[in-house]
Amino acid sequence: MSAPRFPVSTAVVGLGVRQYKRGGAPLPEQGTLVRAIVDACEDAGIDPADIDGFVTYGDDKNEPVRLMPDLGTRELTWSTQVFGGGGGGLAAAFGLAAGAIISGQATTVAVFRALVQDNSGRLSAAVMAHHLNDHITGVGLVAPAVECAMRAQRLLEHHRVPRQCLEDLVRAAYYHGSRNPKAISYGRELDLEAYRSSRMIAEPFRLFDCSRENDGAGVLILTSAERARDLRQKPIYLKGVAQGAGRGWGDLLQNDVHYASAGFESVARRLWAQTGLKPSDIDVVQLYENFSAQGVASLINHGFCDYESVGEVVRYENLIAPTGKLPVNTGGGNLAQGFIHGIGVAVEAVEQLRGTSANPVPDARYCLLAGGPGAPTVSSAIFSVDAE
Amino acid sequence: MEDAVKGLGADAPYWEALDRGELALPRCTSCGRWCWPAPFRCGSCGGWTFEWVSLPMTGVVYSWTRVWHPFGGAEDLDKPYVTASVALPQADGIRLFGLLEPGDRAEIGLPVVGRVCKTRPFGQETAAIRWTAAS
Repeated sequence: MSAPRFPVSTAVVGLGVRQYKRGGAPLPEQGTLVRAIVDACEDAGIDPADIDGFVTYGDDKNEPVRLMPDLGTRELTWSTQVFGGGGGGLAAAFGLAAGAIISGQATTVAVFRALVQDNSGRLSAAVMAHHLNDHITGVGLVAPAVECAMRAQRLLEHHRVPRQCLEDLVRAAYYHGSRNPKAISYGRELDLEAYRSSRMIAEPFRLFDCSRENDGAGVLILTSAERARDLRQKPIYLKGVAQGAGRGWGDLLQNDVHYASAGFESVARRLWAQTGLKPSDIDVVQLYENFSAQGVASLINHGFCDYESVGEVVRYENLIAPTGKLPVNTGGGNLAQGFIHGIGVAVEAVEQLRGTSANPVPDARYCLLAGGPGAPTVSSAIFSVDAE
Repeated sequence: MEDAVKGLGADAPYWEALDRGELALPRCTSCGRWCWPAPFRCGSCGGWTFEWVSLPMTGVVYSWTRVWHPFGGAEDLDKPYVTASVALPQADGIRLFGLLEPGDRAEIGLPVVGRVCKTRPFGQETAAIRWTAAS
């Protein structure tokens, strides 16, 4: 029996981003979020008071009911968030929003993530708080970088994924970021010597293998496809979305069956089945990469390559728009565009399909959004320019 | 028992064994499966009882990282330090985390032996395993 198709009946109609240097937001977190929500409403051509649903992920501290006075919300009909402290829930948030809209629990949903260090502290510490126990802290496993480095070492040393793939993914991110006026790395390409000689964090990761943290907020407005047709922007449809974990993934002592994985095997299988698409149908990928190796593992998990072919596929020339066959993180990604816990890669997915990306992929029809890799619960989505 | 309170799932006997300088891991008394992290119920057969089996503290390095950055919480460890995941063939490949010393021999597949030590993550003392190359 074939898997049921995901109903393509919701679309992203508005985008709002406020991004600053870490510690540099001019407003507190809630104010920054309100600005980004209103930006997204202006982009869509809707009244902020009409938003009746809210969803976030990664332990965002902004309970939607508190935003009502500032937004003039007429009635809050639905709000929730995805479990987990990391970015694994990024794409899943769109799935929840679509479920609420399709079932009539909400009509217009803000998918958001806000992060201002003065209010929420360091993101890395908040994410790690979900993992801490004496088994790991007692032996120096105290940060996401250390946990991911252990998995990366297995990927390189045991599975023989070339170190070059990590470098090429980072280099492609900076290539795109350097050409994106909205990116933190705008105007600055990655100096390969600087990358190779940057200080070691946790082997095999050097400094530039690690995502940065930014202050800011990002918002995407999702509504029904029917309503989207009457709004200002070209609707970008949610083609499919899946979240979860396969058996043998996600325990707190990391006895994962596939330790070097990013955790997407089961999610990717369901995503392809529910959309009827396959990796070769994807025109462009927006990839949450907390660390370089986890981004590469995510591409492997989604079926773009395997341990044998990864060196041919994850190559710098192949990853850059518009000439590469697999353009990845065309805004610069978490590494080079900026990192508000990954919401920026979702925004770039929509920009790319609208045709407003700084690094456009010609005639892009399908864009994969892969959420935070290596998280206990992960998620992926596909956006499309087609209403079916 | 303070360590047990800070543990995970049903792992109190693990910490009690470490406090005696020993290693013990749980095995389902119904189906014989080694389970880790220590569960309350065996997800394979539905059994609720486990035998905590004393095991030799030997294993094989499954993965490792050498940490150079001074992350908060690991102030008591001299940088760089090597954290390793060690697989225990005598317990169906269950993997335990530990420190690997000296760290310059870090390599996947390296046979290691362990001994119990004390470390102070976030300023609070806990028992941990230090692994060294077996030969």
